[in-house]
Amino acid sequence: MIELAHISKWVNVGGNRTFILKDVNLSIKEGEFVSIMGPSGSGKSSLLNVIGMLDNADEGEYHFLGEAVHAMKEKQRTALYKQYIGFVFQAYHLIDELTVYENIETPLIYQNTKAAERKAIVADMLDRFQIVGKKDLFPSQLSGGQQQLVGIARALVAKPKLLLADEPTGNLNSKQGEEIMELFKKLNTEDGVTIIQVTHSEKNAEYGTRIIDLLDGRIVNS
Amino acid sequence: MLKNHLKIAWRNLMKYKFISFINLFGLTIGLTCCLLIATYIIHELSYDKYNTNASRIYRVTRSFTTTEGNISLHLGTVAPPIGPLLKHDFPDVEQQTTLLGMGTAPLRYEDKKFNESNVCFADENLSKVFTMHMVTGNIKSLAEPFSALLTEAQAQKYFGNTNPMNKMIRLSNQVNFKVAGIYKAFPSNAHMHPDILLSFASLNDSTLYGAKNLQTNWFNNSFFTYLLLPENYPVKQMEARFPAFLDAHAPRSSTGMMPSKISKLYLQPLTSIHLTSHLDSEAEENGDIKRVYIFSVIALFILLIACINYMNLSTARSTLRAKEIGIRKVVGASKKELLLQFLSESVLICWMSLLLACILLKLGMPWLSKISGTDLSIGMLLKWQVLVPVLLTPFIVGVLAGLYPALFMAAFQPVKTLKGLFKAGSKSISFRQVLVVAQFAISIILIITTLVVYSQLRYMEKKSLGFDKSQVVTIPWNIAIGNRFEAMRNDLLQQQSIKDVCRASRIPSGRLLDNSNAATVGDSIRPVNLELKYVVADYHFIPTFGITMAAGRNFSRDYGTDSTAFIVNESAAQMIGWKTPEKAIGQRFKYGSTIGTIVGVMHDFNFESLHQKIQPLILIPTDGTAQPFNRIAIKVTGASSATAIAQIQSVWKHYLPDEPFDYNFLDERFSQLYEAERRQQTIFTLFSCIAIFIASLGLLGLSAFTITQRIKEIGVRKVLGADTGSIVLMLSKDFLKLVAIAAVVAFPVAWYAMYQWLQAFAYRIGMPWYVFIIAGVLAGLVALVTVGVQAAKAAMNNPVKSLRSE
Repeated sequence: MIELAHISKWVNVGGNRTFILKDVNLSIKEGEFVSIMGPSGSGKSSLLNVIGMLDNADEGEYHFLGEAVHAMKEKQRTALYKQYIGFVFQAYHLIDELTVYENIETPLIYQNTKAAERKAIVADMLDRFQIVGKKDLFPSQLSGGQQQLVGIARALVAKPKLLLADEPTGNLNSKQGEEIMELFKKLNTEDGVTIIQVTHSEKNAEYGTRIIDLLDGRIVNS
Repeated sequence: MLKNHLKIAWRNLMKYKFISFINLFGLTIGLTCCLLIATYIIHELSYDKYNTNASRIYRVTRSFTTTEGNISLHLGTVAPPIGPLLKHDFPDVEQQTTLLGMGTAPLRYEDKKFNESNVCFADENLSKVFTMHMVTGNIKSLAEPFSALLTEAQAQKYFGNTNPMNKMIRLSNQVNFKVAGIYKAFPSNAHMHPDILLSFASLNDSTLYGAKNLQTNWFNNSFFTYLLLPENYPVKQMEARFPAFLDAHAPRSSTGMMPSKISKLYLQPLTSIHLTSHLDSEAEENGDIKRVYIFSVIALFILLIACINYMNLSTARSTLRAKEIGIRKVVGASKKELLLQFLSESVLICWMSLLLACILLKLGMPWLSKISGTDLSIGMLLKWQVLVPVLLTPFIVGVLAGLYPALFMAAFQPVKTLKGLFKAGSKSISFRQVLVVAQFAISIILIITTLVVYSQLRYMEKKSLGFDKSQVVTIPWNIAIGNRFEAMRNDLLQQQSIKDVCRASRIPSGRLLDNSNAATVGDSIRPVNLELKYVVADYHFIPTFGITMAAGRNFSRDYGTDSTAFIVNESAAQMIGWKTPEKAIGQRFKYGSTIGTIVGVMHDFNFESLHQKIQPLILIPTDGTAQPFNRIAIKVTGASSATAIAQIQSVWKHYLPDEPFDYNFLDERFSQLYEAERRQQTIFTLFSCIAIFIASLGLLGLSAFTITQRIKEIGVRKVLGADTGSIVLMLSKDFLKLVAIAAVVAFPVAWYAMYQWLQAFAYRIGMPWYVFIIAGVLAGLVALVTVGVQAAKAAMNNPVKSLRSE
């Protein structure tokens, strides 16, 4: 599903090139649950952003489902990730002005799903995550764990093949974190969603099927 | 999708109430100004277009040229033979109609007496050229001598509810006219409004004008003449044949010049009269295309300032929305969809503004009618040519104001905004600053404009005119006074409050339009190449108006020969070629057909408004006509004008028991000459206040926002020992710099605009430099107060609070 070849990313600081990612080669198949680990500044999030097409590599090739992402224009990339990728963030990143229901609905709107269909899908999602009773609340009225549930529901509502999670439990207490991890595992095994998560926690990383260690922008093992 | 956009837009409006209020308020005022001014402009542009044949109607005008070929006089009226002869010589002319205005004339029915100022002699072709509607009677009755048509209002005034048909009304206590019909008054957007039409055929009567006179008098150019031409007629070619036409019919000048050498005829399209015609005789005071331009520019300025507020506040606020934008992009929003979302927000706010503006428009309309001196109604806007643009306005303004912020925000990089790396649009600051500069530049221009107009008006009202215009009461001359004038004058002088009385063909504050041929008389009679205007004045003209003599004396009964004496002003003496006023005294001079002697030279004085230069002027005791007089001027003592008026009225009643008594004060007549400028001043003052108010509201929002952004910096500085004053200064400095730049931009523009405006006055102030300083300082003060108050509030906060919240 994902083929990264010789991916490098750098910033120029005072004439010196500092590498964020250096010569990363990585292949991830459909149905995997990958955890990316490494100390702060090792390039975990940058790698995730490159995979999620939110950011470009400065060098190297990236094929997603056989398509050459590195050669695409922004518009095509948007169309691609809109269809296949869902994101979950450490800070949830819900839209404050929208209710739970509307937050979950938003990706469907951007995919031009019809209103009636949207309603059914969102209702199904609310049901599945057991947040029906909270659908008209705004994010500020929810606890962190609940917000992250909404964030995951929003990431999944458009039925992505790939779920990218950047420290999804980082802001949660351990019990909430465990629940989220269980949910991820279930999604991976039962629904076949490919998941790539960035995490600091060994324990959370263990939920995955494979661990990638990153150090100074290089993959140390995989 | 759209519903979703509108929902978000609404919630955002509600969330940032203060900024939403500034935007909504600014745009509402901006749109209201635009709509009000649009109504005014639509009205101005609609003049005379109600006529079915508007595009085919032309007015014949006539100009007179000096021997150098300069136009010295251009009249909207022509001599009486011209209309009928044009119809005869140019078979293409479909219809022709001639009108003669009566000026002010007393009219009477039984005991109802009024001075009427819109009485016209008109022929039966009037309705064939112009679109007219009869209520009763037939327009054809204008072909019969001594018949009259009235408007409904006039009929009501004289006859109440009784049937006016076939009743007799009496003009100038001299001639009776039979009411033969009632017509609907000309609409407010007509360039003339005769409300009593007397049959043109009556002029054949010699007491009124005389049939021969109508056919041969080429010198009395006071007849409005209109032609109806075929569709798309080559008007220029017709005008090219006018010189030959004049030479064929008009008599040669007294110096033997061909008529086409001294005068020209023109065709003026009817629909251009109101806005572009400023001839020396017009049916009514016209509008001015320049005023239409000025108003349009002001309306757009104000709307622009409001749009800039929106742009500034939206981009400034965008940091707060950066996260939302990032998330939307991550969940799949394309740039286009984000653009649409932001544009729907700006369009929504514009729609709300438009609705509010419509309400304000309804409330503001009567007021606008008053200050613009026109009859406006909201009904004028209710036609599709207007409604469609009005309904499109929110989209245009919304896109105009919303596009920049939308583009700006839609371009955010999601990765950066979500990581919180996003800084308050550091790149955009320069553009925001440009916008603030633009707002303040506009405000400063408007302030300067207001002050210059004010200074010029004040100058005109205070300027010494060279004679004493105070405490002079003027009343109309009435032909019924006739030979009894001396007796009446003596009776007036018996009153203790009356100092002097005179009568004249024209009095100061009016125009000088009469002239005749002048010649010096030495060994031979040598014509003077000079447009020398004359006023027929009696012996008391000079003392009544307090005119001072440069040399010689006033007319006087002590000299038996004063019926052939002349008095000129300094300008005239100089232009005729007499080096000093003294040299002029005793010179033999021929004016018109009279040969006489110059007995006095007056100091120059402003007879006309200060728009006009002082013209060479000659006072003559008579111009040969029986009734050359037009007004009586009465100098009264300063004690009580009410007493004086009462005393004048009682004398009037004694001599003219049947004539209505009307009076006015000379200084008020002068003041009225500057009515248009006064209206402009009102509008400039109002709009510059609005402009600077909206601009400062925007600055308020912007500075509030900037200060919030810098709250941590302020906290740190305070901890490091900065006092409140230095922080306020630091925060205000940035904005004051912008105002200073705005002033630099505004000054040359305002200088140029006002320089042009002042050119319309022959007597004008020099560009007052201090006005520029006042405007700059004023704008600076407004900015300083706006920013300073908030800065002070921020600076006085306990730094612990702001630092802890990080």
